[in-house]
Amino acid sequence: MAIQLQQVSYTYADRSLWRQTALHDMNLDLPQGSMVGIAGATGSGKSTLLQLFNGILKPTQGTVSVLDVTIRAGEKPPKLLPLRRRVGLVFQFPEQQMFEETVEKDLIFGPLNFGMSPEQAKEAARKAMTAMGLDHGLLQRNPFHLSGGQMRKAAIASVLAMEPEILVLDEPTATLDPVSRAELIGLLERLCREEGRTIIIVTHRMDELLPYADRWVLLQEGRLAFQGSGAELAADPAVLERCGLTVPQSLRYWRAVAERFGLTGEKPRLTAESLAERIAALREPGGSAAEMRDRYE
Amino acid sequence: MNDRLLLGRSIETGSWVHKLDARSKILAMILYLVIILLAHSWWAMAVLAVFSVSVLSSTKVPLKYYLKAAKPLRYLMLFIFVVQALTVKEGEALFTIGSFSLHEGGLRLAAFSVIRMFLLITFTALLTFTTRPAKLNQGLEGVLTPFKKLGLSPERITLMISIALRFIPTILDESQIIMKAQASRGADLKELPLKEKMRMLVSLLVPVISSAFRRAQDLVYSMEARGFRMDAPRTKYHRPAWGAADSVFILMFVIMGVAVALL
Amino acid sequence: MKTIHSDSAAGAAPDVITLERVSFGYDPEHPILHNLSLSIPRGQWVSIVGPNGCGKSTLVKLLNALLPKSDGEITVYGHRLEEETIQDIRRCIGMVFQNPDNQFIGATVEEDIVFGLEGLCLPYAEMEERLQAISAKLGIGHLLEKHPGELSGGQKQRVAIASILAMKPGIVIFDEASSMLDEGSRNELMEILQGMRAEGNYTILMITHDADEILASDRVLALHGGGLAADVTPAELFLDEELLRKCHLREPYPWRLARELQKQGIPAEVPASEKELIDRLWPSNFSK
Repeated sequence: MAIQLQQVSYTYADRSLWRQTALHDMNLDLPQGSMVGIAGATGSGKSTLLQLFNGILKPTQGTVSVLDVTIRAGEKPPKLLPLRRRVGLVFQFPEQQMFEETVEKDLIFGPLNFGMSPEQAKEAARKAMTAMGLDHGLLQRNPFHLSGGQMRKAAIASVLAMEPEILVLDEPTATLDPVSRAELIGLLERLCREEGRTIIIVTHRMDELLPYADRWVLLQEGRLAFQGSGAELAADPAVLERCGLTVPQSLRYWRAVAERFGLTGEKPRLTAESLAERIAALREPGGSAAEMRDRYE
Repeated sequence: MNDRLLLGRSIETGSWVHKLDARSKILAMILYLVIILLAHSWWAMAVLAVFSVSVLSSTKVPLKYYLKAAKPLRYLMLFIFVVQALTVKEGEALFTIGSFSLHEGGLRLAAFSVIRMFLLITFTALLTFTTRPAKLNQGLEGVLTPFKKLGLSPERITLMISIALRFIPTILDESQIIMKAQASRGADLKELPLKEKMRMLVSLLVPVISSAFRRAQDLVYSMEARGFRMDAPRTKYHRPAWGAADSVFILMFVIMGVAVALL
Repeated sequence: MKTIHSDSAAGAAPDVITLERVSFGYDPEHPILHNLSLSIPRGQWVSIVGPNGCGKSTLVKLLNALLPKSDGEITVYGHRLEEETIQDIRRCIGMVFQNPDNQFIGATVEEDIVFGLEGLCLPYAEMEERLQAISAKLGIGHLLEKHPGELSGGQKQRVAIASILAMKPGIVIFDEASSMLDEGSRNELMEILQGMRAEGNYTILMITHDADEILASDRVLALHGGGLAADVTPAELFLDEELLRKCHLREPYPWRLARELQKQGIPAEVPASEKELIDRLWPSNFSK
């Protein structure tokens, strides 16, 4: 397991008049190398949950295990700096954390803090730029002169340059245009599939992540409402509505086709392309549509 | 996220003090400051303390909230006490160790200073606890209006204050997020030596400041888009109304001032 | 003070906004907008689309002189935009911006809504009436005393809209107003927009990347490279793959599905719902 939570609760301002519990009794298992989507309405505790993953927040109750590090509530935590390198946490609007005069300096900031040599750091920066689909020529540019989409990718690269095993992102596609959003999700999927990194993404737009996520975690008012594979979620979309989320159109169309032809055991087709292919197969003579018609007639 | 609750946030209990005109409360605070400076005897201090506690109680805000307001300054108060007690060499010496000596007068002055400071902080918290920021700001505008002749623009000052009140919590929240983001990139201020800390500070200040400028630009756009122009005529939605209770409130402070001056 | 009336006499909807050869830019060699001409009739809901940096945001900011045009002529409700008419024109145009936090001017919801009304120099009774009416309409009556810090992004955006509609503008501009909102709040914003259209009192200009928002509008203005790349209906936009790519947009899912089905050799119209798709693909006797 990359990340495991056992009976974890988190309360803000625990000993004050304004204590506020953001997470209740969470049990969570996120396997290594998987692509995980986290969804939930505003205020459901998503951002709090993410900050437990690299020890920025420590549980008020329960146990958080990340890779081989265990953080128990009430105990003095182990040294967290090494963990923070291994779990890259990308906050919302990460471009707002950039501060150096060149992209390269911003990218090597993290690696240097974690003790890489300048040469190693620059090499890591170049690799991160490639992984984010950015031209190395941009390294010497001022980050504030990049376009919105480029700046976002560069900021993610600045975390990726730490070479984390787990990359956690809070709404990485927010405010980007649809093409840049799809491109970014594609890049993150490659990081997961080709480099074996665990990618965890909080999203308000489930439709864009649905075809790629292996696992989904749904939160509702600080409690776990669902955790399971994409196929399990596709089989029970009602849980989304219980969490105050709308069922993405791609899922609704797949369900309609699947229910019609009894395909519920099959891998869900959640892109327009794959669903169209499946429909074409169903319509072919000898396809299941024909089979069904035979049965009914 | 909760620290900001004490900053300029009122605690509604619906007491008579809450219902007063903000201008009378601001004037009362000024009078209170004068009264504190007039109090020079133990008797005066005692009367003033009783008066303060009864006024604070009548706000129906729990007294511990007022104590909390003074808490951040407890070390400053202790410091002032020690310095005054050790440096003022008036009255009879209580005891002497080497070059250090503690005098009765010094002790008294030190105690007075700390009591004054404590009373002032707890009592002025009444203003923010019982008055919503918007009302407070309008009250301030009212109090400053006579100074218009001196070239002061109450509208500008209160606009500045209200925008500051509005955005300081937002910017503090944001600074906290940026701090966490940089900590996630290995720049944890708590875990670093001093020399490194200075460098890390840049990684916090640049994003916070550039974001504040961005917000300022957005705010200007949205104010202008809503037709705002500096010094253009405006009507007022909240019109403060000075009532009998306000006059009584002020009178209480005047009487208190006279009493304290005589004691 | 001369007032421009938002509600001119009915008839064939007259143009409320016209641009003639409008340019904007700090560097004449690389203008952000160049020689743009267009007109928008009253009551239309117009989507303004295009890749980042194409000048969408600049365009709408020129309309009420938040930015100064460098050349050309802008007319709003028949009045040329000049130094003397700026204030009057601003009264006719309301703007909702992207970041819900940065357009919240007051310390409370109530204060934010009356901020614009105070600037209109309305008497107290009128302000009170408008405040109550708009907060009831947008369902924020229970929030009037709240601080922005106590509100969600969606609620703040709702307050921004209330603040603007309370000023009774004829034209309302949304500058990526939904892009920082969550799914639920985006849907709520859509309902507000549909309600505004149903009322028929508003000309709506909306800068957006959102396929559903574009689909709901009457007309799409696509900007590219500082000029107008296309002036089309939403349906025309979504059928034009080249234009979509140019504007960094994607079509709504049902449109994409219809296109993919066509690629598979299955003729398919864009379905209105999943049920319609099934019924159309398998118009079979066995549907129960």
